[in-house]
Amino acid sequence: MVRSKGYPEALENKLIDRVLYDSDRSPEFTKVVEEISRTIPHMCYQCGTCTASCPSAPRSTYRIRKFVRRVVMGLENEALTDPDLWLCTTCYSCTDRCPRDIAPTDVIMAMRNLAFKRDIIPVNFLKTVQAIYTTGHGVPNNDVNRAARKKLGLEADPPTTHKFPQYIKGIQKILDYYKLKANADRIVKEREG
Amino acid sequence: MENMHEYAFYLGCIAPNRYPGAEAAAIRTSEKLGVKLLPLEGASCCPAPGAFGSIDLNVWMAMAARNLVLAEKMKKDIALVCNGCYKSIWEVNHKLKHNDDLRDRVNEVLKEIDMEYKGTINVYHLAELLYNPEICGVEKIRGSITNPLTGTRIAVHYGCHLMKPRKDRDFSVDAVSKTEAPHWMEEMVEALGAEAVEYRNKMQCCGAGGGVRGYDIVHSLDITNEKLINLKEVGVDALTDICPFCQLQFDRGQIEIQEKFGVSYGLPVLHYCELLGLAQGMSPQELALDLHAINCEPFLAKVL
Repeated sequence: MVRSKGYPEALENKLIDRVLYDSDRSPEFTKVVEEISRTIPHMCYQCGTCTASCPSAPRSTYRIRKFVRRVVMGLENEALTDPDLWLCTTCYSCTDRCPRDIAPTDVIMAMRNLAFKRDIIPVNFLKTVQAIYTTGHGVPNNDVNRAARKKLGLEADPPTTHKFPQYIKGIQKILDYYKLKANADRIVKEREG
Repeated sequence: MENMHEYAFYLGCIAPNRYPGAEAAAIRTSEKLGVKLLPLEGASCCPAPGAFGSIDLNVWMAMAARNLVLAEKMKKDIALVCNGCYKSIWEVNHKLKHNDDLRDRVNEVLKEIDMEYKGTINVYHLAELLYNPEICGVEKIRGSITNPLTGTRIAVHYGCHLMKPRKDRDFSVDAVSKTEAPHWMEEMVEALGAEAVEYRNKMQCCGAGGGVRGYDIVHSLDITNEKLINLKEVGVDALTDICPFCQLQFDRGQIEIQEKFGVSYGLPVLHYCELLGLAQGMSPQELALDLHAINCEPFLAKVL
């Protein structure tokens, strides 16, 4: 049978009782996450409405409530190295329903930004960057589609960076400003050789 | 004909590059409804809010701002047909208009390419424009129909990023602001002569967003499969969406679900613009429905 990543072994592992020490905490973490996310995880009273609203929760060990708690407690390593960080589909149901007016989805996004600074990032995210750097599109055109477009009376290439590739240079400058392409290339190469 | 409402048509990636019928239909159907969609030359990926937002929110904003500046130069508001694009283009526009620090940060980058974000335009989803009686409205849609989809049962997948998070959205039409049990898209479907069908947990995500489709395809498809089970329970002839990424997840996803889970549904998935095109008399060829992974014939047999 096909299985999603790390289930149920990951769950068993997570249910083991653990002791947390002050040395596991980095108090700056809470502050940085709040700055990037522009939301207020410290207001969380752990009601669990977020996890109950989450489409990823019933089929994985991903618990948005737990991630919010980790932020409040400053458990940076534990949060950023948990592969479940990447299971949020960003549907914003939790954000819509949070009775404390927190945006848990944006808390996740902030943590993903911080994880990327430590090179923790699934490769597929970086491949989107590479595609956009080359073509301007995350999902570029192809020959089958070009033929279909012509039959529809559309131009073979849409009037985006595809038809006007002179705009790609500007996109590359923006991505280079943040050294995003260089970092993406480096990490992909490290992972895939 | 009265004055046309003109917009810069922001295409995104998946509509023009995977479901070009949705692009063609958007242009042709809205023209009949008083909405003219003009090409936005040099636009790029929005960029994908899940992928780019996860990596670095600053890059996400700068890249989206570049697209916004292109429309500012045209002096036109943007209309688009994808919820993911809406998340990037609408939300970044909104953030930059209301946060000077973010706007300054973005403009510092844009200076490198001789651009400046000014905050002079608005961004709309085409579906929201078509629903708004001040622009088009349901009655006008009904009046444009030459081939009513009578006798078909159609369910709506709203997707996430057009309406959610509600507190970060600002719709002029109240019905569009309801995120728990909205009904405005069902009204748009019934205007085409079809029966709009409710189903369990209809506001659930398609499962593709946030980079999850690329990160863990089985997890992602399992979410899609749950929706397909709920749709099968009520029995529908087609599913309609207003987001090409959701469309891809439901359409190609059904093939992947068959391969990985061994269940098949054969449920045609059409963008609302494609559905509107059929109801306005466009042929399946003019909508490139043959590019869909799931055969639309059983549905077409009922409406043609």
